[in-house]
Amino acid sequence: MFRQSKRRVANRRNFGDQVSRTPGKFILNGITSEEEKQLYQSLYESKLSFYEVPPKGEITLEQFELWAIDRLKVLLEIESCVQRNKTAKEIEIIVKPLLQKLLPFTTEDLQDRKKDYYSHFILRLCFCRSKELREKFIRSETMLLKLRFNMMTSRDQAKFVQTLNLPFLQFISDEEKEQLSTQLYQTISSSLQFQLNLTDETARRQYFEQEKFIKLPFESVIELVGARQVFIKKGYAYLPQFQQLNHIANEFANMLSLALTKTYQTIPRLNEDDRLLPILHHLSTGYTITNFQQHDQFGQASQGEINAKSVYSSAIQENFPLCAKNLMSGLKENHHLRYQGRQQLSFFLKGIGMDVDEALQFWSDAFTSGGQMTQEKFNKEYRYNFRHNYGLEGNRINYKPWDCRTILSRPRPSRGEYHGCPYRDWNVDKLTLELSQGMSLNPSQVTSVLDSVQRTEYTIACTKVFEMTHGGSANTEINDQSHIAHPNLYYERSRQLQKKAGAAIK
Amino acid sequence: MTTSVAQTSESKPGNGPSTSDMQYYYQYLYPFKPIFTWLNHSPKPGRDMINRELAMAFRSGAYKRYNSFDSVQEFKNQIQRANPDRFEIGAIYNKPPRNMDSILKAEMKPLEKEVVFDIDMDDYDSYRTCCSGASVCSKCWKFISLAMKVINVALVEDFGYEDFIWVFSGRRGAHCWVSDKRSRLLSDIQRRSVLDYMNVVRERNLDKRLNLKRPYHPHLTRSLDILKPYFVEIILREQDPWRDDDMAFGSLLTGLHDKNLIEVLKRYWKSNPRRSSEQKWSDIDALAASQLKHPSSSKKTDFFNKLHECKEDLVLATLYPKLDVEVTKQTIHLLKAPFCIHPATGNVCVPINETFIPSNAPKLIELQREMEANGNKVENTSLQPFLDQFQQFVNQVTRKELASAKREREDDVDSQF
Ligand code: SF4
Ligand SMILES: [Zn+2]
Repeated sequence: MFRQSKRRVANRRNFGDQVSRTPGKFILNGITSEEEKQLYQSLYESKLSFYEVPPKGEITLEQFELWAIDRLKVLLEIESCVQRNKTAKEIEIIVKPLLQKLLPFTTEDLQDRKKDYYSHFILRLCFCRSKELREKFIRSETMLLKLRFNMMTSRDQAKFVQTLNLPFLQFISDEEKEQLSTQLYQTISSSLQFQLNLTDETARRQYFEQEKFIKLPFESVIELVGARQVFIKKGYAYLPQFQQLNHIANEFANMLSLALTKTYQTIPRLNEDDRLLPILHHLSTGYTITNFQQHDQFGQASQGEINAKSVYSSAIQENFPLCAKNLMSGLKENHHLRYQGRQQLSFFLKGIGMDVDEALQFWSDAFTSGGQMTQEKFNKEYRYNFRHNYGLEGNRINYKPWDCRTILSRPRPSRGEYHGCPYRDWNVDKLTLELSQGMSLNPSQVTSVLDSVQRTEYTIACTKVFEMTHGGSANTEINDQSHIAHPNLYYERSRQLQKKAGAAIK
Repeated sequence: MTTSVAQTSESKPGNGPSTSDMQYYYQYLYPFKPIFTWLNHSPKPGRDMINRELAMAFRSGAYKRYNSFDSVQEFKNQIQRANPDRFEIGAIYNKPPRNMDSILKAEMKPLEKEVVFDIDMDDYDSYRTCCSGASVCSKCWKFISLAMKVINVALVEDFGYEDFIWVFSGRRGAHCWVSDKRSRLLSDIQRRSVLDYMNVVRERNLDKRLNLKRPYHPHLTRSLDILKPYFVEIILREQDPWRDDDMAFGSLLTGLHDKNLIEVLKRYWKSNPRRSSEQKWSDIDALAASQLKHPSSSKKTDFFNKLHECKEDLVLATLYPKLDVEVTKQTIHLLKAPFCIHPATGNVCVPINETFIPSNAPKLIELQREMEANGNKVENTSLQPFLDQFQQFVNQVTRKELASAKREREDDVDSQF
């Protein structure tokens, strides 16, 4: 069984860079474990990789998917941070725990290294198919590289730079530095102050005296040019060594961009392997909508406090994400919800801590209070459904609350239905009204949310809304600022903040 | 410096050329060949022109995109036949744009284009008192000349570009075309960054302090050095925008850093209304010295340093050129070709330098008169000096292109060994 699912997916041909070799053959012949060890030893000599050569060796189909998903989680978190305008420092704090858990990179462990290497190349396959996906992938991979670079010791950093063999890594001579010293110092003085925190003029001067400058075509560090953070002269930029990462990141992005285009051109060859394509497809669509967060710990914020009555209180309801609010108001209006909506809301409420007895009470109250449905009818037609959701009927599965990904992958609501995600399903006018009046966001906040909606990044829109309606990021512990891709996570976090604020008042 | 009094090139309807004037112009005067060679970077038709998009704009408001031409002859014939009001130059694509209909739009990829900059007088309107709207005179044109000066130095000194030309937009602005190979290759993101580098004053917003970081980036230090000598002449004396007390409260005082000083000045100017900009400019230092108490001499030095910085920022805020973002940031953006006729003024969009003033621009009507008077010899019209200037520029561009192509070939040979 296990043997069968083992698949040699990782030969050079699949990864596209060197298509010409051994056509029709599927594996790179016998790389021994000793060779493999040495290979990764050399690839990760400086702890960080530029992923220049395709991976060698075998991995299983399970590894293929799991590794890719783990990397995806990291990249999505990064992407979400970028979208929400987090600073590099904030991103580091938010992403670091995830990184340590899913993609540790300072270890000597062979499996960790293989995972890092393979997952990168697998995701290349997923995200090479459209310009949009490519750009996104490049953006978050480059950010990841920067994050990791900054997490290394300066010795490792130097070692890494040495291994790169980048063009134009030419330090200027002391004479040239002397000649340009006024301009060079003028240019970097404020970066020294604000990025390196050298508040004192003498310290800055001293730093400057020691600093080496690299001369390279200004196009290579174009972002720094745009921000006027480098001195440029006759088409060359003078990059201080402490800004070198920008250059490296830029080279990396260029390299990746070329590689992705190449991979795309060779991807039709993958069609032979009908087991990979569905996985790849699955991964790349998942990436655009949400991540794979799994939360088993829901209900903690509200142990025992959710019952058929209290769920209507504003203290509880103000913590609901928009999808849950929408379902609640649909239910109130119609004294009924159709199947999809029933499921979505019932699992959500279960997730916030409503037990089965309270749930039955809640639903029967809601359905019968309009006067159209009798208790008998409810018992006959719906009771089973709700008990089933709690695993008390049928095959007795303990269903988990739906995450945004599940919600977004289900059929869209039609007229008279309330399930789904309002950020996707509502029209712009309705959404704007809700954001500006219902949630009192200011116009620029509304625009920012609608921006994400337009890019079909609904969970990012939702996370933004969360931050905006909860006193901005200043209010939240920084490691609680990760991306929200589960309505119950939205609730949990909101409820916890609310309690903290309440405690502070008392 | 003497200036002629508000000599305007107003856009009254009826002032512009008729369609038959345009026909005449395309037939006898428009320099198709140099334009073709310039955009093609070589006299022999090649990709840079064959795959180049040109768009035509018509009197009716119609706008025809995705034209492209294989030869000078075809270029001339087609323009003459269509007789547009003006035509615009766009990017070099991977395929001839005129085949657009038969190829998928998605397959059309812009590859290269000159880097272009656009400056327009209305950007200076808040400090311009001599004219308003579409009018310009030699006084306010100084804003544009000065802008050209600042940008020229940056292009040469900072970016290392050499082959660029400024073109009069026909009414109250100027376009810069940079033809250096390296500039043509810039991606959209890179264009955007070059623009960000140049654009210091994002909005000539009246009520916000610029508050630029110190020390200035060398580009700003240099620009300030260029602009400073003109500040007194153009802003304080000629335009004198702050004689208007409300303007002074709204855009001069808001540039200062100290609340007390602002209060003192406000009171003083309220009881002494309509002091000139020059007087007000010196009132700032004078009142800061006489009316404010400074706890210590070092605090006092700090205060005056800061004040000095505010004044420097104000010089940039009033005179530093603001470039149009849309025009520059996209490779595919289209911009009016040199030597077109401005449909409202009848001016020829001639190549210019810092000494140009709008009244120097030849008008189509005059050119027609000159042609009739001298037996239809273009050489004897007032257009000729501009044609010469342009031809010189084109020669420079093609010479460079040839040299760099040769270098590349040699490099290729080298790298084979
Ligand atoms: S993004 Fe998720 S939590 Fe937010 S409204 Fe949509 S489905 Fe609900
Ligand atoms: Zn004027």
